[in-house]
Amino acid sequence: MNQPEELLTKFEQELTQAMRAVDPPAGFAERTMARAQAQEQPRARVLHMPSRGRFWMNGGAIAAMVLAGAFFGEQTHVRHERERAELAQRQFETAISITDQTLEQVHLQLQQEGVRGPK
Amino acid sequence: MAIADDEFRRLIATHQRMVFSIALRITSDYATAEEVAQDVFLELHRTGERLAGDDHVKYWLRRVATHRAIDAIRRTAVRPEAGAEEWMEEQFVDDAGVTSAAIQARLDELLRTLPEPMRVVVVLRYQEEMLPDEIARLLGQSLASVKSHLHHGLKLLRRKAAVTMKEYIRESA
Repeated sequence: MNQPEELLTKFEQELTQAMRAVDPPAGFAERTMARAQAQEQPRARVLHMPSRGRFWMNGGAIAAMVLAGAFFGEQTHVRHERERAELAQRQFETAISITDQTLEQVHLQLQQEGVRGPK
Repeated sequence: MAIADDEFRRLIATHQRMVFSIALRITSDYATAEEVAQDVFLELHRTGERLAGDDHVKYWLRRVATHRAIDAIRRTAVRPEAGAEEWMEEQFVDDAGVTSAAIQARLDELLRTLPEPMRVVVVLRYQEEMLPDEIARLLGQSLASVKSHLHHGLKLLRRKAAVTMKEYIRESA
């Protein structure tokens, strides 16, 4: 059965000719060289926070700032309250002092006028 | 230890057509073929200093390109067109007029027809002009298996090519 074998061989020849190697896309060599050089670069020794850690760090920083703000805000409020109390105390003491002085003066005046105090 | 840049550039220039073509004809996709081809050269760049001589490099590139291309098509789970088996049952095919031009015009389509094991063997046999026992060693398969894939793959291609030829003549007219 030579004819089928000849046909097969001829087909194989045609197939071989059709399947010659083709060029890769333009710039293939340059892109490959660039990747090779990139993979040779040593990783920079910097402290890289993983993105999730960075997120948590930022969240923690925000929380700390909020707490600090709340704390200092509270402290300011307390200071204001204390100052108001101190002011009120001074005003009270001043008022008492004025009252004491006034009463003393009234008492002296009465004594001078001979008015006996209650027994 | 990595290969020096000059030497690596020379190896790319010498073997890029072969590596890319193996990847393209097995994967049937240009983008995938370029990715596979680049990966092959990058692996050569990392490990190539241990290869002695151009023949050894060429064999290594063929082997790695073939296996990576096979992995790529298995990852994408590309399957040949359905109904390939019915083409195998015809007894006579008039492919006397089939030319390389006709085959080349539809080569991608013809190769995509083939199941992966047949496609790989056909590419290595007719593009790389490797002998069946060389193909068996490269793929790690038995010689009988390679010959079987070759026989059935070629039969399928002939039938498809005969149909393609009629369409080619019609389109060329």
